[in-house]
Amino acid sequence: MILDQLRLVSRQVNVQLRMRTFNWYTVALFFLQPAVFSAVGMILSRAAGNQAPDLVYTVIGGGIMGMWSGLVFSSTYDIRSDRREGTLELIVGSPTSLRKVEAIRTFSNVMAGLVSLLAAFLAAVFIFKYPLQQVNVPGVLISLILLLFGLWSLGVFLANFLVWSRLSGSLVDFLELPVAVLCGFMYPIQILPNWMQGISAIFPIRWALQAMQASLQGSEINGIIWQKWGLALAISLVFWSISLWLDRKVHNMIRLTGELSSI
Amino acid sequence: MGSFAIETRSLSKTFVTKRGFWRRKTKSTLAVEDISFNVNQGELFGILGPNGAGKTTTVKMLSTLLLPTSGSISILGLDILKNTLEIRKRIGFTFGGARGLYGRLSARDNLRYFAELYGLAPEITRKRIVELLEMVGLTGREEDRVETFSSGMQQRLHLARALLHNPELIFLDEPTVGIDPVGARELRAAIKTLIARGKTILLTTHYMAEAEELCDRIAIVNKGNIVAMDTPSSLKVRIGRETVIEVDVDQQNLESLKIQLVKLDHLSKVEYSAEKLINRISIHTSEPENILRLLGPFLQAKSIQGLEVRNQTMEDVYVAIIQGEKK
Ligand SMILES: Nc1ncnc2c1ncn2[C@@H]1O[C@H](COP(=O)(O)OP(=O)(O)O)[C@@H](O)[C@H]1O
Ligand SMILES: [Mg+2]
Repeated sequence: MILDQLRLVSRQVNVQLRMRTFNWYTVALFFLQPAVFSAVGMILSRAAGNQAPDLVYTVIGGGIMGMWSGLVFSSTYDIRSDRREGTLELIVGSPTSLRKVEAIRTFSNVMAGLVSLLAAFLAAVFIFKYPLQQVNVPGVLISLILLLFGLWSLGVFLANFLVWSRLSGSLVDFLELPVAVLCGFMYPIQILPNWMQGISAIFPIRWALQAMQASLQGSEINGIIWQKWGLALAISLVFWSISLWLDRKVHNMIRLTGELSSI
Repeated sequence: MGSFAIETRSLSKTFVTKRGFWRRKTKSTLAVEDISFNVNQGELFGILGPNGAGKTTTVKMLSTLLLPTSGSISILGLDILKNTLEIRKRIGFTFGGARGLYGRLSARDNLRYFAELYGLAPEITRKRIVELLEMVGLTGREEDRVETFSSGMQQRLHLARALLHNPELIFLDEPTVGIDPVGARELRAAIKTLIARGKTILLTTHYMAEAEELCDRIAIVNKGNIVAMDTPSSLKVRIGRETVIEVDVDQQNLESLKIQLVKLDHLSKVEYSAEKLINRISIHTSEPENILRLLGPFLQAKSIQGLEVRNQTMEDVYVAIIQGEKK
């Protein structure tokens, strides 16, 4: 049973990867862009006279940027190419639910984003000598898992819109930058006005990211961290539930409009 | 529900599309108006009709991909709305044209992927892929990327894909569209093999000859309605045992021939069409000898450029039914 599921996952990822064109653009998107983002952030931050602990936002900021835009790019790419190839309809008509296929694909896209995070991290450590002594490793790891889970839940949520219609799919492109700004990828979220912080509270990745930034700065696992973890997990689960509900709606909607087969 | 493979009652589908961003305009298209028919187990049932008649829409409703606006559908005795998943496991479908395969993947990888979506065990998948590629004549090409395939090969791969999970009921929407005659013949041979193995098939086409060759029964659809439904031979009889005489004549002689033909109006149905300076007169008649006698003098005077006398074909029946609808 579990073996069957794993096979489905591996077959899915295999097709997903092979439908992509691997060229320098992809490499740049996933690896160079985050590293450049981090480097520029580092230089600016130092020029402003910030000391090592404050550099944390740029250490992983570029990586998070890369993960997020990589996720949006890959998820929209996958669904658009399936729509274009006419295979989206075939998946819907098969006994495996599109929801499951989307969950698997988004998961692999999120995991691919780890490359970006790693790139930014390496750039920070080796080029800009970000000090690692104070890092709270367990704190960072747990935050990272919650961050991945949060990204996954957001990706699956957005996939519903991409499947629903091409028009609402454009919404996803539109959201890419605002989410990056709102969630404080590259700076402390406290510098945003209150109303913006209020909006960003609905994104699970914001909470996981804050916990991660704190752990990188050496914070111990205290009540505040636990609170952020709790929020990250809870909000992710809320997104999952909404996605399940939306999935049913979308499944019926596309069968009313015939949207799946139109390009 | 009885033993029908497909049972539909008063099926209709209206597409509502919204256009524009600011003031949204709503446009509805009546794709299927009122369609009812049953298909028996093991039958090869054809839906024949011109482009835009509603064939694809009907097939998509039957294969759970579209929800009907009204009416009921039962597939293999299961209700389409309540048992969607169960139906999906037991049916296969293909939609005409080049879409529906991953171009960058090999034929085998495409099949493996879809086998996975249908939950086939790996050892079964391996065996099925060999069998099916053999059946559709693609053995030896399994490692090639699908984007390098001709449209005929792609259509055959579509068929193989639809058969992976060994479905009882198969929907084929325009399976031979865009393929050369040899490819189409091979595909028809494959379809016959399936029927011999006891499958039930619903096929759509806009080629009359194809429907006549393959189908046990044909429903002719036009503008979302069934305008005739019967076996190919009964459909022919329905129009009568008429002879078709086609005469090509130049402009000069057209008028005088027309005058002659009008006298025999009661015997025949005459249609005129013009193409590149040649006027074609098609005469459907039950008394061909009288028409031919009338044409004698024109033949002698060599004012007739072409003459064909033949029995009515299914093509004529089809054209007659569709045109009868228009009037
Ligand atoms: N998804 C859709 N949205 C709006 N109109 C559609 C859609 N699909 C088909 N139609 C319209 O429905 C009618 C029937 O189309 P179709 O079933 O594809 O005909 P056929 O397969 O017989 O050529 C056409 O007028 C077509 O434009
Ligand atoms: Mg069609």
